[in-house]
Amino acid sequence: MAKKRAIGEREQRVTQRTLHSVDETLRLPAITPPVTYPIETLVPQVRQQTPAVGQRATRPDGRLHGLGQTRFIDDLAFPGMLYARIKRAGIASARIRSIDTREAEAMPGVMAVLTGREIPVNSFGPSLKDQPVLADEHVRHAGDGVAAVAAVTGQIALEALDKIKVEYEPLPAVFDPLEALQDDAHKVHAPNGNIYATRVIRKGDVDKGFAASDHIFEGCFRTQMVEHVPLEPHAAIAMWDANGRLTIHSTLGRITLGRADISRTLKLPLNRIRIVATIVGGNFGGKNEITQEPVLALLSKKTGRPVKGVFTRTEEFIATTTRHPIIMDYRTGVTRDGRILARKVRLVLDGGAYCSWSETTLGKACILSAGPYNIDNLFVEALVVYTNKTMTGAMRGFGAPQVCFAYESHMDDIAAALQLDPLDIRLLNAFEEGSSSPTGQVLQSVVLKDSLLQAAGRYGWKDARQ
Amino acid sequence: MDISLIVNGETRSASVPAETTLLGLLRDHLQLTGTKLGCDVGDCGACTVLLDGKAVNACLVLAGQADGREVLTIEGLATRDELHPLQKAFEEHASLQCGFCGPGIILSAKALLDEVPDPSVPQIRDALSGNLCRCTGYTKMIEAIQDAARSLRGEPAEPNA
Repeated sequence: MAKKRAIGEREQRVTQRTLHSVDETLRLPAITPPVTYPIETLVPQVRQQTPAVGQRATRPDGRLHGLGQTRFIDDLAFPGMLYARIKRAGIASARIRSIDTREAEAMPGVMAVLTGREIPVNSFGPSLKDQPVLADEHVRHAGDGVAAVAAVTGQIALEALDKIKVEYEPLPAVFDPLEALQDDAHKVHAPNGNIYATRVIRKGDVDKGFAASDHIFEGCFRTQMVEHVPLEPHAAIAMWDANGRLTIHSTLGRITLGRADISRTLKLPLNRIRIVATIVGGNFGGKNEITQEPVLALLSKKTGRPVKGVFTRTEEFIATTTRHPIIMDYRTGVTRDGRILARKVRLVLDGGAYCSWSETTLGKACILSAGPYNIDNLFVEALVVYTNKTMTGAMRGFGAPQVCFAYESHMDDIAAALQLDPLDIRLLNAFEEGSSSPTGQVLQSVVLKDSLLQAAGRYGWKDARQ
Repeated sequence: MDISLIVNGETRSASVPAETTLLGLLRDHLQLTGTKLGCDVGDCGACTVLLDGKAVNACLVLAGQADGREVLTIEGLATRDELHPLQKAFEEHASLQCGFCGPGIILSAKALLDEVPDPSVPQIRDALSGNLCRCTGYTKMIEAIQDAARSLRGEPAEPNA
């Protein structure tokens, strides 16, 4: 084995020297940067034999990451590439009276300016198509894009944004989801109301359940908006070629869905669009749909040059999706010994200005809101409302972490009031093999009680409470 | 303005606008894209490089301030023969997930090991306090840094590592 490896190394050195001499003989331009790394790679045991279970595994991309050789989108560059920046509204609710781009277009180094009116179909979204690529008539949250610039440097594009004059007619705004439910609240997507999706689960008879209960407990729980903050900001490079074909390198996580949205917004057949997605520097659900891709594509079409756009950290916070804040009202009827007889839940999801993945989040939060507990009488009502804030969408768990915080906090409150051990009240009510979920799915491979007991045993739960 | 500095042991020169940061110089002018732009305001540490041996956020250093000085980026660690012990340990421990924070973390760790050959876990945590990993894989990074420290001291790796 050792001998074999030595021969391999010698062959490698010969190859390198030969390559170098070719470079020198042909007087090829020096390739920058002169990065060196070992040719011999680590072959993990896991990919040499099966079964892989029990073998030590490494990540196939680990070496490139450690060498700084992974090419993320912002690490790519193409000849003649331009840099795009998007002007953000900075006002939460307004009608756009006019956009004057003349001064920006006249700036040296600015190659093109784009506004929402130039986008063939200015709406997209994974379920409701309610989000404009660039706001054209109405601004519905402060992070809405209103115009974009492509320039020879990012600095010039940034300066050009200040030269774009947008005249707004301010409109009333609504920021609290409960206020948005009121009849007289400002309608974010007038004439439609602010509630844009609802889900209801009915199981058994909650009124009877509450009547039979010894105690009834109520609790209200609220969570806040959370941004994914991937270390790599959203980035894309669009190239519209002379055949009318579009290539986009993008940080998109869902490329087929993204391609459909790009096709729709640009009125371009799917087969003319090629999406190249490379390694993503953190997604967490925040890169599941298009953002600036159609804008870059049209800027590329206007200029005939590749156009790159990279979001700033500020844009990551104000102009990409976030986690839904949820207001969660719980009412639970229990027997004296802590068995749950009935539960009523109301969830109000703050959907922000656009739908995005709200419907998925709503459904999942609704189904999981009762917790992993056997409850015969259940009523869950969940709704998601528009507000004039950054849109909320997919994020790890799709609503599950919010409701988990609520129902587990609620369980602790009930246990404390009944002077029960928080572990015991969970064991009394927990799902077992064959339990059915709130929507009637019969569950298999349920190890909830085993997990709780194992965890309690390992961390000395009972000892700590004595 | 004209700038000349030593990058990864080689003298490099560039003519850049005065507002160019060291990060912009490395990425856009020298094509050393291993150094990442994460926030551009000095919060995330993805752009960490070693300037005269000290870990700095390249987005907060102007290219002009680096004139005549010595910069080490992630591209300057490995050789044709072997990975740097930190890179080797990070690969073997699968310490990097999306990898975007990796170059900065490895360089912060190198700055630590250059000064403290046998760091404690709190010392490692302290050295990484300016580097964010949103995949939250810090545990494996700390293990890898301990492993690399052992290797740099000439000790064998932990038997179970």
